[in-house]
Amino acid sequence: MEGYYNAREEEHEANKSAGETWGKIRSKLSEYISADAFSRWFKNADLINADEQDGIVGVQSDMHQIWIETNYMDELRAAFAEGAGIHCSPRIVVKGEEIELPEEEVKQAARKARAGGQVKVVTPDTSAKEVAFERRLKRVGINPELDFESFVVGDNSQFAHAACSAVAHQEGRNFNPLFIHGGAGLGKTHLMSAVAQQLLSGNPKAKVVFLTAEHFANEFIEAVRKGNLDAFRKAYRHADAMLIDDIQFLAGKERTQDEFFHTFNSLLNSQTQLILTCDCPASEIQTLEPRLISRFESGLTVELQPPGFEIRVAILRRKMEQWKVELDNNIVVHIANQIKSNVRRLEGALTRVASYSFLSPDNMSIEKVDELLGDLVRDENTNLITVEQIQKMVVDYYGLNLSDMTSRRRPARIAFPRQIAMYLSRQLTKLSLVDIGEVFGKRDHGTIIHACKKVKADMESSSEVRASVEKLTASLERQI
Amino acid sequence: MVGADSYQARQGGNSMKFRIAKEAFLDGLQQVQHVVSSRTTLPILSNVLIEAGDEGLRLTTTDLDVGVSGTAKAEVSKPGATTLPVKRLVNIIRELPSAEIEVSVDNKNVASIKSGPSFFKIIGLPDGEFPPLASFDDAKEYKIPQAIFRNGLKKTSYAISTDETRYVLNGIFTSFKEGKLTLVATDGRRLAMVDHELEFPSSHEVDFIVPTKAVQELQRLLSTEGDLMLKLSDNQVCFEIGASIIVSKLIEGNYPNYRQVIPGESKERLTLSREQLLETTRRVSLLSSEKSNSVKLTFGQNQVDVMANSPDIGEANETLEVKYDGKQFSIAFNPEFLMAPLKNLEEDEVHLDLIDEMSPGVLRTEDAFLYVLMPMRVTG
Repeated sequence: MEGYYNAREEEHEANKSAGETWGKIRSKLSEYISADAFSRWFKNADLINADEQDGIVGVQSDMHQIWIETNYMDELRAAFAEGAGIHCSPRIVVKGEEIELPEEEVKQAARKARAGGQVKVVTPDTSAKEVAFERRLKRVGINPELDFESFVVGDNSQFAHAACSAVAHQEGRNFNPLFIHGGAGLGKTHLMSAVAQQLLSGNPKAKVVFLTAEHFANEFIEAVRKGNLDAFRKAYRHADAMLIDDIQFLAGKERTQDEFFHTFNSLLNSQTQLILTCDCPASEIQTLEPRLISRFESGLTVELQPPGFEIRVAILRRKMEQWKVELDNNIVVHIANQIKSNVRRLEGALTRVASYSFLSPDNMSIEKVDELLGDLVRDENTNLITVEQIQKMVVDYYGLNLSDMTSRRRPARIAFPRQIAMYLSRQLTKLSLVDIGEVFGKRDHGTIIHACKKVKADMESSSEVRASVEKLTASLERQI
Repeated sequence: MVGADSYQARQGGNSMKFRIAKEAFLDGLQQVQHVVSSRTTLPILSNVLIEAGDEGLRLTTTDLDVGVSGTAKAEVSKPGATTLPVKRLVNIIRELPSAEIEVSVDNKNVASIKSGPSFFKIIGLPDGEFPPLASFDDAKEYKIPQAIFRNGLKKTSYAISTDETRYVLNGIFTSFKEGKLTLVATDGRRLAMVDHELEFPSSHEVDFIVPTKAVQELQRLLSTEGDLMLKLSDNQVCFEIGASIIVSKLIEGNYPNYRQVIPGESKERLTLSREQLLETTRRVSLLSSEKSNSVKLTFGQNQVDVMANSPDIGEANETLEVKYDGKQFSIAFNPEFLMAPLKNLEEDEVHLDLIDEMSPGVLRTEDAFLYVLMPMRVTG
């Protein structure tokens, strides 16, 4: 990560002249705001850091921070620009809280915070540093609880975990960009947050950009609307590390993709670490430009699989320890057996059962668990529709033979039902295009894409097709 | 509340039976139903705990952060307890045709509700599953006249911040110090504060933050007569208002030092009629633009011009006559923020203290009320 070392040197340079720079900014600022406000809020403020893209101002209390952040940011921004030529959104921190923390201390702080339960308890005796670190994480948009320690590693996630850990410790220079994909609630965001936390605790001044692709798109649209694309580019193209969640959101947003492509290239060229997450492999994001796909695939791609039974139990145990709840072993096993697809849902299930058992410990039983988890388990099962079931249902509906689903024959009365079956497989199962193609007589994934598009278009134009598809979907879901 | 404890302790048979006037039942339920959120992970939290004893009914709801409990007069023929879905119950009771209602609950927590010709059966949950409200055995106690507390909340609560990233500001800072009860709320653009002298032992000096939700419940239940009893434990607070109880967790953390916000010496002071200023601002603000959302106050010899304009729509202007012979200048405020305290005060006159067009304005009354309001940038 050369970006880091460069940034550090620059920073050092900047610090030497910080006093001078701050003098200029202050004198500009005193022109913009009233004397009373200046002496009240900025008299004892210091410039903690200032370089090309970043300004940090230290103030003496949290009230100073709140009041300045709500009322004087425009003036401060202008003073940075006019006084020192720094175009940035300055950050306000409370002095004494921004001290760099040795890594171990941060870990301890985090551990201590977790031991206190999931509610963040800020008491006067928690050290200001912990609070400061958490506050910094929150500002970047990272949930402090999502770190490497709280991630349960299993066969399903070992490779992804190892890759992220290497990147976090800046050993994985070649893993750039790192592309993490996997279904919902399997820990993509968790791993990415963990990397960001590690990078920040290693170097608190690192500029880590952590955002969702949706956020990126919105900011881009806003920047276009306001006509300040320059500032937008500056903000992102000078990051030390850029982490983008849910990149599939870019699908179908051509101009955003274009901007993203250039940002992406410029970061990659300056060897900035990039991490992307997506709910499917890059090649399967619909309507994503090929050049972006190939960029995404140019680094390391890792996949998160749904956890196996043992891992699910381990995850539940870990959570129980964290929340300080105790449950019967067979109840834990039962939950792990019922909820298979998704870790987030697994945690949700545990929350329900744990809070119920907290409130009425005597009524706990397997039957009660089933009752509590009823809707989750039903949801769970909708994921279990198989392509075989779909094929059977479609064949019955249209009066065809099962072999027609895999055959090469293409009269319309066979081809169209087959396309509907492909479309339904795409909608109702979690299989990839390639896998679906495989079960439909080793067809190419392009055929499946074409089928999906065709059925979608026909559903829009013909109410008959729409009715058939809806009927099939409903009866498939009922069958489960 | 000795009554409450003995109610809660009763774990006897689940079946119960009582007769109650429709209005009494509805009033009692409406008092407690607001804390129940429509989306909750635990079914029991959608329910109201109904405990029938010799003195009538005690009704309790909670969302685990805030709990509310109140009473309703009833003729209990068989004491007992159960829980029933509160929103549904309220809807049913409200629609019942007769003024008298008979409720009986069997030992499977199925409630039969009879009123005139109509009959309802609703399925409840056992009262044993209902989370008990925290107890306040060794708590510090404060006796406060309801009128004072109600008034204080009314004059400050509109300034509470709704920004969840600054969670310490999502409530009212309540301080018992130096023989005074002080209530403060701020959102970073304005700050409202009320002081009131109050007697309490000096060993009871303390401050804490009451979350918004509890403040809302308090405002519903407080009246202008009688006293309320405030009890404080480590991280919870309890308000006893007559037979009603509100129990709430406190917001953990330190409230920022709000005194830093209050400007020192002012240069100009105006005394205005509260009502007039409110009416004028309300009228003029009809033409404040969405973008700037401000009204401009221009002070001249014995008059204040209140103005607003939006470029594409038009402008409004109204002149207030006041006693003023200070310097001529203008200051702009967000009209909503200017009107909020005016709406919630009762005094006829308010004082507006100003320094210059860029410094915060301070609204005061003869009482110990103070409101700091940041000006908006005056353009043009």
